[in-house]
Amino acid sequence: MLEYVRQAAFAFLLLAGLFIQITAVIGVNRFRFSLNRLHPAGMADTLGLLLMALAAVVYAGFSAVTLKILLVVALFWITSPVCSHLIGRLVRETDEKHFEAEAKEWKP
Amino acid sequence: MNRKKRDAFAPFLNWLENGGNALDAEMQDALREHDPKEALPEKTKKAKKKAVPAQKDKAREERARKAYADSWWYRLLAVVTAVTLIWLLMEAVLQMPKFGAADTLIDSELTEFYVEHTKEETGAMNIVTGIILDYRGFDTLGESHVLFIAVCTVLLMLSIYGERDEESRLKRWEEERHYEPEHDVILQSAARLLTPLILIFGLYIIVNGHLSPGGGFSGGAVLGAGLILYQNAFGYEKIERFFTYKTFRWVSVCSLLFYSLAKGYHFFTGANHLDSHIPIGTPGNILSGGLLLPLNFVVGCVVACTMYALFTMFRKGEF
Repeated sequence: MLEYVRQAAFAFLLLAGLFIQITAVIGVNRFRFSLNRLHPAGMADTLGLLLMALAAVVYAGFSAVTLKILLVVALFWITSPVCSHLIGRLVRETDEKHFEAEAKEWKP
Repeated sequence: MNRKKRDAFAPFLNWLENGGNALDAEMQDALREHDPKEALPEKTKKAKKKAVPAQKDKAREERARKAYADSWWYRLLAVVTAVTLIWLLMEAVLQMPKFGAADTLIDSELTEFYVEHTKEETGAMNIVTGIILDYRGFDTLGESHVLFIAVCTVLLMLSIYGERDEESRLKRWEEERHYEPEHDVILQSAARLLTPLILIFGLYIIVNGHLSPGGGFSGGAVLGAGLILYQNAFGYEKIERFFTYKTFRWVSVCSLLFYSLAKGYHFFTGANHLDSHIPIGTPGNILSGGLLLPLNFVVGCVVACTMYALFTMFRKGEF
């Protein structure tokens, strides 16, 4: 019985992670503006990765490897939002078309 | 933020924003070239242009849409190719032996030889390191020098000291300094947390090269990435306190010299059937494997320096 529950949890987590990743891929390809594209791209690296890592943990059982997987998730949670932030900042500072008011302010 | 800075990023942003539209734009261009109506003589073209610009745009859009609809087989082919490739790769992965299985790939004489002899002959638990730094050490020596030559070429082409006169050099120096990152608190906090971890992890990979998967090349790449992250977060003035052109020069030249001398000595004694007096030690200890540990370290230094030098040359043209 417990085995079935474990497998069901594994399947659910993996499918949820896959769903998030596929949503992110579609979103990145469908959106036309870079800031819109950042939103699904950031989602894949944080939530999608977490769900898939949890699926791996549930599938393999708890051991020393679990800690390593969680470390990977932690590293991605630190770095990915920072990358999104930097790209977003770059867009806001350099896009004259969409941020005209700010662009005028920055003119030397 | 001045205009120059914005212009520098414009192509990248354009690509980011319109990447998905590139195909459509190409099709539109192709259509425009081949359209007989567009190739009308100059006078009629001018006369028509004023009359119906909106209709023309609409017609062009319509044609592009039609071309997109006609290229359905192209997209279908892309999907089929991708799915087939994914399926083949998945199939190959499923047929691989399990990690650490005893009967892994013992089907050729060479593999068998390496599996049986590497541990006692080179003292490496990681057979790959034993092969690339001992059996095929000459090859790896060439690879390290290739990296060095690549950096030299980039230095020749991009260094600001290649400018013709002092004035243009100073001008470029000022321009490049202008692109330095501004203080971004979020990036700086992340870098403050991550840089030491990345550097220590890189050293760990290098030092354990002969015991576990890893080695000089991968560890050096991690070290270089850590340096680049630090530079991006804190700017050149901070990193110049411990990594300058002088450091780069000394570290890479000394590393390559040591590699060449050590390997030359090893080859000389080995080819003449002499004892090289380099202790192999107990396989499995950190201090074992004869030349493997210092060679891994040296290769790691060269790779880290190369990565950082390439980055800083493309970014600024100077260390």
